[in-house]
Amino acid sequence: MKKRWCKFGLPLVAGATLIASSAWAQAVDTARIEAGGQNDWLTYHGSYKSYHYSPLSQINTGNVSNLGVAWIHIPGRSTRGLQSMPLAADGVLYYTGSYSRTFALNGATGEVIWSYFPELDEALVARQTHSPYNRGAALGEGKVYVGTMDGHLIALDMKTGKVMWDTKLIDSQKLTVGFTGAPLYAKGTVVIGSQGGEWPGRGPIFGVDATTGKKKWEFLTVAGTDEAVKTWGNDSWRTGGGGGWMPGTYDAENNTVLWGTANPAPLYDWSGADYKTQGARPGDNLYTTSVIALDIDTGKLKSYHQELPHDAWDFDSAVGEFVMLDRDGQKYVVHPNKSGYIFVYDRNLGVKNVWRITQNSNFVKDIDPKTGELIGRRDFSAGKVSEPLCPHISGGVSWNAGSYNPKTGLYYKLGQEWCMTLEVQKTTPIVAPQAQLNIGADFKIAPPPSGEIYGHLDARDPITGAKKWEVRFPEPPLGSVLSTGGNLVFVPDSRGTVHAYDADSGAELWSHGDGTGHQGGIISYSVNGKQYVAVVAGFGGMASDDYAPTFGGVYKSMPRDDGALIVYSLK
Amino acid sequence: MLKLHLKSLPAVLGASLLCVVVARAQSATPAPDNGSLDVEQLFAGTCGFCHSDGGRAAGRGPQLMNSQRDNEFLHNRIKIGKQGAMPAFGESFSDAQIDQIVKYIRALKPREG
Repeated sequence: MKKRWCKFGLPLVAGATLIASSAWAQAVDTARIEAGGQNDWLTYHGSYKSYHYSPLSQINTGNVSNLGVAWIHIPGRSTRGLQSMPLAADGVLYYTGSYSRTFALNGATGEVIWSYFPELDEALVARQTHSPYNRGAALGEGKVYVGTMDGHLIALDMKTGKVMWDTKLIDSQKLTVGFTGAPLYAKGTVVIGSQGGEWPGRGPIFGVDATTGKKKWEFLTVAGTDEAVKTWGNDSWRTGGGGGWMPGTYDAENNTVLWGTANPAPLYDWSGADYKTQGARPGDNLYTTSVIALDIDTGKLKSYHQELPHDAWDFDSAVGEFVMLDRDGQKYVVHPNKSGYIFVYDRNLGVKNVWRITQNSNFVKDIDPKTGELIGRRDFSAGKVSEPLCPHISGGVSWNAGSYNPKTGLYYKLGQEWCMTLEVQKTTPIVAPQAQLNIGADFKIAPPPSGEIYGHLDARDPITGAKKWEVRFPEPPLGSVLSTGGNLVFVPDSRGTVHAYDADSGAELWSHGDGTGHQGGIISYSVNGKQYVAVVAGFGGMASDDYAPTFGGVYKSMPRDDGALIVYSLK
Repeated sequence: MLKLHLKSLPAVLGASLLCVVVARAQSATPAPDNGSLDVEQLFAGTCGFCHSDGGRAAGRGPQLMNSQRDNEFLHNRIKIGKQGAMPAFGESFSDAQIDQIVKYIRALKPREG
């Protein structure tokens, strides 16, 4: 096991004493995350219900105009901006930056309690395409868990930042990929999924013992069962891509981890309509672009639904939101697919409804809301695709999360309206993992047939998709959404402005500039009776790198190697 | 459609690309060989993810067609990369192969139709 030293890992005693009255009053465990405490934000999605909702109401529609900056933290070396979801527990804010830099800060003042900068394989990171950003950490059993670009999962002592264990899970030198997504902690297990998709590999998801760091199980999203191997013709499963690079959630009633999987490689196939028998990867390509339920103790597959069989468009299921709802005695799970179709399941991943958040979509004519079956799919042959493909490769929705507010019963979710021209290439079959990507086409961003590119915040019924209101943005916002018990919806946009809307009407009540674009998380928490809203700002990466050439304006000078954590409170 | 000589290369050259890439994957410090590349396929597989329309248009990365940069700059940028923007391909391709990529970039023309 590689030894790693924490360069700045010593606790700053003065900072720690400031929060001694409330700090670490109670261990963060599965029951506490399940309950989703009033004052904290204990897991990536807020709680296992994945609401991205804070019940705090001190900041509300009546006083949000008095919201101002409480403190700022600069993590440094924010290559490709900041993309993580902060966490908060007992008055301490934890967050990560590029290169998996990890910080524990006094939630009231921003004072640094400890920091940890892992010593990464920099030569490997320099070879990677989807790097070096990090999308967050997990808390549990007195530790902070963070993944790295070079294939490690590291546990840090919550109080000091000291490395408790460091486990290498992926041979990143061989496969190029690592971890950018946040882990999930539940029931003594830390679950983390690797990058995959356009890299030829098999996209593993790991379960690791939270106490020891020992790997408990590994599930391969590409051909992870005998049944699934049969859905990959010509041994294409050996390099099928997949992965699960965003954290899913934990369903205690079923003892399962719910996770979304990434797309198969190559992204674009030349099979034409005969995709079951022809092309680069003949067959349905299980379990890519699927939602899967794994036994949290064993990693065994218990149920799944493949949202897009033989995904030929890179509209994967890697979005980590699994919004757990109870309505009229029925238990539902709502999961957005990257295409902009929102799938509603029962707890065994049986399809209950499918609705669409985007206006512009033509990769299929529709998806059957009763069965989830794709209707009128467009399977390309090699050569120029005549009609632009909608949505664009950056998706109808981002990998960032929406928010469900149990008080209004509405799901606040961003949609993206853009398309792309495409020329599919019949490439040489890749038969072993390689250091390069496997895309399979040349492409270029294009406006939708209805006019200009834009984005929109929708307030919708999460089960039926019925829309109550919509707010439009000139460029698609890429960050996460937060709703609160103060009847507010916060949206950090791409230009760098944070907006607060009335959760019932969509009326804008407040906005503030953060100085650079947003593409990460936003949370709310409370320390000593005072409510805070924390958001990461910092632009750059796969979706946002298209903004300067496409939109010009403020994006032309927007840095792609900078970022800050900005925390707001009432003045 | 860009032609170069690459389209007419025998299949063995395509296989040699595969060998090169596999060799890279198996070693942390591979020694790139001088096998020819099908650069058009390379763009469709990897480079085009950022250099839109096969390098003809700006996207996540800059437009390469009609680049004002000189060959040495292009060669070094491919080899060494740029932190946070351009991966380093010096461990994947030999200098001779990178020269082939630069030659492809110099020959880029707008698509017909």
